[in-house]
Amino acid sequence: MKFWKYFGLRVLTWALTILIGVTFIFFIPRMFPSDPVENMIGQMQSRSGQMDPLEMEHLRKSLRVQFGLDGSLVEQYTSFLWKGLLHFDFGPSLLSYPEPAGDIIMLYLPYTLGLSLTTTLLAWLIGNFIGLLAGFRKNKRSSKILEGIAICIYPIPYFIVALVLQIVFAFILKWLPLQSTIYANNGMWAYITSILKASVLPAVSLLLVNTGWWIISMKSLSSSTAEEDFVLYARYRGLSEGKIGKSYVFRNSILTQITALAMSLGGVFNGSIMTEIIFGYPGVGTLIQKAILQSDYNMILGCITISIVAIATATLIADLVYPLIDPRIRYS
Amino acid sequence: MRKALSLILAIAMLLTMGSAAFAAEMTEVGTPRNETLIVETQTPTDVPGQFNSYMQGTQMGFGIHQLMSAMMWEMDTAKGEQFGEVAEGFPESNEDFTEHIVKIRQGIKWSDGETLDAHDVAFTFNMIKDNPGINQSSYANAVFASVEAVDDYTVKFVTTESFPRLSMRFGVTIWGNDYRIVPEHIYSALEDVTTFKDSAPVVAGPYTVSSYDELGKWILYERREDWENSTVGVVTGKMPQAKYILFKVLGDDTTRQMAMINNEIDILCEVTPEALEVMTSANDKIACWYNEFPYATSDDPCSKGLAFSIGRGAPYDSADFRWAIALALNFDEISMNIFDGAGRASVFPILTATSAMQELYYKPLQEWVEAFELDLGDGTTINPFDNGYAARMAAALGIEGTEEELVDMFGIGCWKYAPEAAEKLLIKAGLEKKDDGWYFDGAPFTINMTYLADTEAQAGRGLVAAYDQLTKFGLSCNLSSESSATWDTHGATGEFEIAGYWPTGGITKDIYSQINGYDADLIVPIGERGSGQGTRWNNAEATEIIQELAKLSPEDEKSYELAMDFMKIAIADMPFIGFHSGVKFVPTNSTNWENYPSASNPYNGPWWWWSCFKYITTEISPVA
Repeated sequence: MKFWKYFGLRVLTWALTILIGVTFIFFIPRMFPSDPVENMIGQMQSRSGQMDPLEMEHLRKSLRVQFGLDGSLVEQYTSFLWKGLLHFDFGPSLLSYPEPAGDIIMLYLPYTLGLSLTTTLLAWLIGNFIGLLAGFRKNKRSSKILEGIAICIYPIPYFIVALVLQIVFAFILKWLPLQSTIYANNGMWAYITSILKASVLPAVSLLLVNTGWWIISMKSLSSSTAEEDFVLYARYRGLSEGKIGKSYVFRNSILTQITALAMSLGGVFNGSIMTEIIFGYPGVGTLIQKAILQSDYNMILGCITISIVAIATATLIADLVYPLIDPRIRYS
Repeated sequence: MRKALSLILAIAMLLTMGSAAFAAEMTEVGTPRNETLIVETQTPTDVPGQFNSYMQGTQMGFGIHQLMSAMMWEMDTAKGEQFGEVAEGFPESNEDFTEHIVKIRQGIKWSDGETLDAHDVAFTFNMIKDNPGINQSSYANAVFASVEAVDDYTVKFVTTESFPRLSMRFGVTIWGNDYRIVPEHIYSALEDVTTFKDSAPVVAGPYTVSSYDELGKWILYERREDWENSTVGVVTGKMPQAKYILFKVLGDDTTRQMAMINNEIDILCEVTPEALEVMTSANDKIACWYNEFPYATSDDPCSKGLAFSIGRGAPYDSADFRWAIALALNFDEISMNIFDGAGRASVFPILTATSAMQELYYKPLQEWVEAFELDLGDGTTINPFDNGYAARMAAALGIEGTEEELVDMFGIGCWKYAPEAAEKLLIKAGLEKKDDGWYFDGAPFTINMTYLADTEAQAGRGLVAAYDQLTKFGLSCNLSSESSATWDTHGATGEFEIAGYWPTGGITKDIYSQINGYDADLIVPIGERGSGQGTRWNNAEATEIIQELAKLSPEDEKSYELAMDFMKIAIADMPFIGFHSGVKFVPTNSTNWENYPSASNPYNGPWWWWSCFKYITTEISPVA
């Protein structure tokens, strides 16, 4: 019974979080001082000079009708809740009309997930392992070196790391492409090779910086856990250092990291804008950026809604799984 | 374990070396490098594989209109003159310009072997009229009563009212044109042309799509085997020399520079002079329009300068105020701050001083403008024109040349730097100078100046330089930036005071299409979106000329006379302070390809992103 009450409350929180989040993201772009129709006309004019006044008037009316911007805000909002939130149908991208925004997002999402999911999980695993060693065996030279490296890399903004990697490995050594070019027209092997080539530098840049953060946080957690009374007691009982590290320090330190991982996994749907821009890696990050700059309301809604649902769901799962990992927490 | 690891490493190294050697001869999309011209795209796309220009979202600048499109009339950018592409010549119109007979060029074939004829042309215009989902539909219906093929090579356009500028409006004048001829035998079979992606397009241009990135990062074009039947082949008889042209997205500025230095790209769209310097110092095969100062071409038809929101009322609606701003600016310093002095002065309002326009309008107006006087309101006058600019800049920059060469490089002159006259004009416009600054209507006066943060550097730098000058002069100014998306709305609704922008552009002798938005009858109140220019310049004389021009043929000599009169009115009323014509640093790399258009070989302008690029491809040749 307690479980179901706990479960019900968490699901309610999850639903409310999503509803509030998407409501904000529905109304905020509509408060932008920009307008997708004017933006499109402006782009046409900046390319090809002054537009014929009569043509501009006709075009403006035509685009407003096509984009569905003539209805009231309430009509647009209720339509979005029904179609967008419940069916993930965000309508057409305003700038790529009539291509559905959802289809465009789905084109880019696999690349974002492939890169961000892999690097997030790898960074979590490597970072926590090294962090545990650095915190639990903090007086060993290897631990100090690893921690030192992490402290050096972590504060560097990841786009700087990305730029350095690009300059060294793509510009000077020419081992890898400056910009990702994914080539699907020459067989599966060529396709896979092009994806791997395109992903190496973005992945390494994300991995380096993210790993640094996990090392530092795990080191901090594990070193304070290692000084807890129950760890001292285990030592007095004569347990091996390996057993203490694994069963006492690791298990108690990893709990916070699991919650943080859940949040990070939810966040991978946002993409990594700077990495995508620097390496020309196809992803949702640049899609969001472009949509915001060009007031593509439906695209903004699509990208951010997916992200909100993902983060809220990841948090919900973490909440539900937590009591299974930590016996001290019960469904109450 | 160690052996296995060593083996894996060795294989990885071999693969890397092998692919590096492969990459040296082949492009990343599997074509021979020496047969592939690689061009940076102006506009990335979110809808890869979509080549139907009548479907929303198709990005024409991705090589589509440069290589495949068939235009009724194209542009010789070197001469500033149109010529028939699909059309054989210019329209033969009746006396009141309501009926227009256009002959269609014979010999052009679509890439599937079908003949392009009058039926394709008539079908295209009727398709636009009949499909409200096409952006241009509403306008086409307003303009055309009917479009019909009289015979296989003659089309008759009937317009709803007098329309003397058929080729100007439905042909290319600068960047391109939205009215592209489509193959009737393909498009007539479609249920809905507005949802037809046309992923394997049948085209009349010299190139077809060979392959494209499903993520929209590149498109590979291949020269038609029957290129001689393409528009370019029929018009010029010349073969585009690159078998393949790869248009690709390059990302941020740093990557663009690195790609150019590494010879991974042959043509970039536009860079800053600082980026050009980095590239040319690292790779001597990289060049620009000129090999030495000023490097850039000044023939882009959009002059950058200061736009006023005149519809806001006083003092912005006062010509005295706008002239005061012009005379408070030290133009020499502004030039140095923008691009280190590079660029042709283009100070007349609205009209850009391209080479052609300088000859057609600026030089003929020079005598008049040198005699032009401003009343300063205290019984004194000033002649505001300064014809010493070219000589001063040449001296400051150590440039030598004949007077004609210097005028070609720096323009015929600029507005004088006359702070005392500027003060008098401000007072005449109703401002008051006190110890702590300028006042208007009893309150401290501040000008809000806006520049576009994410677009052309020239416009932004010009506005910032003007801000410095006006602040130095004693005016209180605020500086803010807006994204182009925000500006597109604020610019249209007039919600700005002074902005760094380019309100219009053109390179043809007939300037009607550049100025018709200044018709005062189109002005709507601030905050509303109208179809006229956002600055809301309200001048009855100028409006009268625009409306008279609308009825005249562009070839009519009276059109030119009226245009000259319009320019005199504009100069006197100063709705826009021009700084320079569009100064474009567009680099090329001659490691793999050569004979790009340049100052020493100006067979065309360096407009890779315009539809005229297809004609440039016949001249760019592989390095032996």
